[in-house]
Amino acid sequence: MDFIEVAGIGKTFGTFQALDAVDLSVEEREFITLLGPSGCGKTTMLRTLAGFLTPDAGTIHVAGQLFSSPTAVLPPERRRMGMVFQNYAVWPHMSVFDNVAFGLQINNVGRSAISERVSRMLAAVGLEGLERRHPSQLSGGQQQRVALARSLVVEPAILLLDEPLSNLDAKLRERMRAELKTLQRQLGITFIYVTHDQAEAMALSDRIIVFNKGRVQQVGTPRQVYERPANLFVADFMGVVNKLPGVLIEHRGAEGHVRIGQQTIAARLGDGLSAADRAIVIAIRPEAIGLGPGAARDRANVLKGRLIDSAFLGNIVDHQVDVDGTLVRVQGDRLQSVEPGAEIELSIPIAECVAMRGDLPEHHEPEQDRS
Amino acid sequence: MQVIAPAGTARGAPAIAAAAPTGRFGLERILLGLGVALLLLLVGYPLLWLLLGALGLPQSIGLEHLARAFTRPQNYAALVNTLELALGTGLMSVAIGVPLAWATARSDMPLRQLVHVLVALSYITPPYLTALAYIILFGPDAGQFNRLLRALFGLTSGPINVFSMSGVIFVIGIHVFAFTYFLTYTALKAVDASLEESAQMLGAKRWQTVLRINLPLVAPAITGGTLLSAIDSLALFGPQAIIGTPAQIVFLPTRIYATIGSYPPRWGEASALSLLLVALTVAGLALQRGYLEQRSYVTVGGRGVRTRRLEHGLWRWPLTGFCLSVVFFSAVAPIGVLTLTAFSNSWIEPLSASNITLAHFQAALFTDQVSVRGIINSFKLATAAAAVAVALGAIVAYLDLRTTLWGRRLLDYLAILPLGLPGTVMAVGILLAFIRFPLPIYGTIWILLAAYVARFVPLATRSANASFRQIDPALEEAGRITGASWWLTMRRVLFPLARPGLLVAFLLVFIPAFSELSATILLYAGGTETIAIAIYRLNDLGQLEVVSALAVFTIGVVLSLALLVNWLSGSSWASGETPIRG
Repeated sequence: MDFIEVAGIGKTFGTFQALDAVDLSVEEREFITLLGPSGCGKTTMLRTLAGFLTPDAGTIHVAGQLFSSPTAVLPPERRRMGMVFQNYAVWPHMSVFDNVAFGLQINNVGRSAISERVSRMLAAVGLEGLERRHPSQLSGGQQQRVALARSLVVEPAILLLDEPLSNLDAKLRERMRAELKTLQRQLGITFIYVTHDQAEAMALSDRIIVFNKGRVQQVGTPRQVYERPANLFVADFMGVVNKLPGVLIEHRGAEGHVRIGQQTIAARLGDGLSAADRAIVIAIRPEAIGLGPGAARDRANVLKGRLIDSAFLGNIVDHQVDVDGTLVRVQGDRLQSVEPGAEIELSIPIAECVAMRGDLPEHHEPEQDRS
Repeated sequence: MQVIAPAGTARGAPAIAAAAPTGRFGLERILLGLGVALLLLLVGYPLLWLLLGALGLPQSIGLEHLARAFTRPQNYAALVNTLELALGTGLMSVAIGVPLAWATARSDMPLRQLVHVLVALSYITPPYLTALAYIILFGPDAGQFNRLLRALFGLTSGPINVFSMSGVIFVIGIHVFAFTYFLTYTALKAVDASLEESAQMLGAKRWQTVLRINLPLVAPAITGGTLLSAIDSLALFGPQAIIGTPAQIVFLPTRIYATIGSYPPRWGEASALSLLLVALTVAGLALQRGYLEQRSYVTVGGRGVRTRRLEHGLWRWPLTGFCLSVVFFSAVAPIGVLTLTAFSNSWIEPLSASNITLAHFQAALFTDQVSVRGIINSFKLATAAAAVAVALGAIVAYLDLRTTLWGRRLLDYLAILPLGLPGTVMAVGILLAFIRFPLPIYGTIWILLAAYVARFVPLATRSANASFRQIDPALEEAGRITGASWWLTMRRVLFPLARPGLLVAFLLVFIPAFSELSATILLYAGGTETIAIAIYRLNDLGQLEVVSALAVFTIGVVLSLALLVNWLSGSSWASGETPIRG
């Protein structure tokens, strides 16, 4: 059994099904991210893990102990978890020191041990010297560090983080990202991280769990979910993707031939595609497409199209190419320029053309969007 | 409970216990449950008895009390008088409230700040004290103003008799117009100048803008405020009794009082009349709510509304004159005359050095037994009632905002309900409920405590609700996940953060409880007199100077606490403007 075992968890708010038969397992010391759009159930899952919500179905075991079931819930204060909240939730009536010392005080840790451990923790998050400050005197980034220190000082087995960086500005967010990752490695604590930002998820996680509509869509390493998305939702959510509708005309093993408009290309068959599927969608990442016939090194498809427009974005150039009536986005080299209106050839490695079912996996339509 | 050290958690940490069943009875459930039970006992149970009483229980069961309530000529007259009073005060509140609101909110009139403060002062002065002041001012023979007018115009009698229907309407009107004033003022302040400027850009003249833009925008507030003024006037037992009873004009609250005070007390009829009064109030409040809901489009701007003061030119001066005379009659004259009387040897004599004395204060505060007992009882009762009401209000607000408990909305409704009930009605319910088994506390001070808590728990609930609403629940969740139990989290996180708001809640209950009259008059007994009862009884004995001293003391207490509330609400956490986040 893994360190955290979530089995068949379901949770309904009124008529809204926030979680639907969620299974997941987390190993000790793993950095795992629950990723998905707002209302997908990721925050509900995190709050159920914390013990703030009682599941309607299923069980949560941690280290072999039952933590949550519809009839029994271990209260949050006895789970030995820490939690960092989106809006920091640093207590405004306590100094930085008191905020961090709180968890130690209530566990009757001795006075000198408290001050020693608080100082060590504040140093670890880069807040030395700010012990006497009150939260109102701190910046957002500093408050989030206080929240981190407060939850880590009691040495929890698991740290839950609910979009901890989403209220910070872009530059600070990237710095905190790196610090979080380092901190997690140093302390060897299991991190369960919730975000809607796929770039953040990929930068931080050992594994990502993609949620949509209360269900787990895919579990995998950042590379796996990006390169081998389980379905069109995951492909779409993990980054920009071209979706070319086509007809699967034959398949052999892991590959098949697909007709797109007037042209036929070879494609890798995605997971969950059955032999009966004919009308499919080819998913291609814009950065996988090369301009010109010789642009790809591997076995590649060549698609003919006409360049509509290009936008210079600095590090890349974003081209819009018309392929038999479908607009295809291509991220090209900034050194390579093509005139709008030119007939061009696109080369795409076969492994980067993934044939998928065109419909998103349907379970239940939420009546309203909530997280 | 099973306690097993979990595997995989290093560092010799304390053991994690296995999950406990969710249905257990923790401190959380016990405390919250007690609060709910107390609220049901103090609000739900008396209201139930009001219904049962109207049906004749416990002696019999039937509809004869209801029938009698509507057919007895005295009751019919009381109903007609009450409606006349509501109509009169409603009209009066529009006539003076709206121009005043315009003047202070939008005009460039001088002294507008002073006018605003004096309206607030007339609002917080207990209306039965205003009524007493007007007896001193406009009593038919000895009234100060009457004597002045007779001297000025060479009259031999009158000319104004406060003991009349117009006297009651006037005295109540100059108190309740504050509702219309404040609602209209707020609405006028919420109209963004760009709305007016848009009209002007399209060529509208100023009067056209006022008529076609401002007036329609604030009309719901004016109507709502007027209804609120009228509803409040229905319930004001004090002036109705102090001025109406000598004039032999009976209103529903004073009629209910007479019915209970008759021998033998006709409780069934009193309950039936109470239900009638409730029906009037509920109908008015439903109308008022309907109008105020339309108000939403006024507050579209929300924050950062920009308003312009309009220049009124020479019109400023008549406007100033009008505003000053309104606040003169509503606040300056009544409080002034009470103060003068309190310091005079005899209130009939003109004020002079030989006529100044502190004897009445000495009597009111130290020697008169009823008065001293009243002061002590009022302080005790108001303190206890405020403490209990805040505890109940906090529990109701907590259940509403922090739990998903079934029925929490119903509970919130029950805790807000007494706000719409006249004190007389609440008192009849409390009387019927607590005169008998299982809690026969009638005749003791406890029944007054019960009545005050029941009457004013809505104020505490709304205030606690506003206070908790500002506090991000994540602050409490952070406490729990850091290892603190529910109660410890309450003590270390929620209560310290809510303290300024809860203190305001305490004062908001303390202030009206301290000077409560309309419920007390039905429930007090020898030994449990309050300040209001002392004033009422000393007035009956004609000791106007001692009454005035007691009145000045009461106004002083109420005013200082109101200023404290104002100051506390101005400070950041209690203002309701800044949410408490980390």
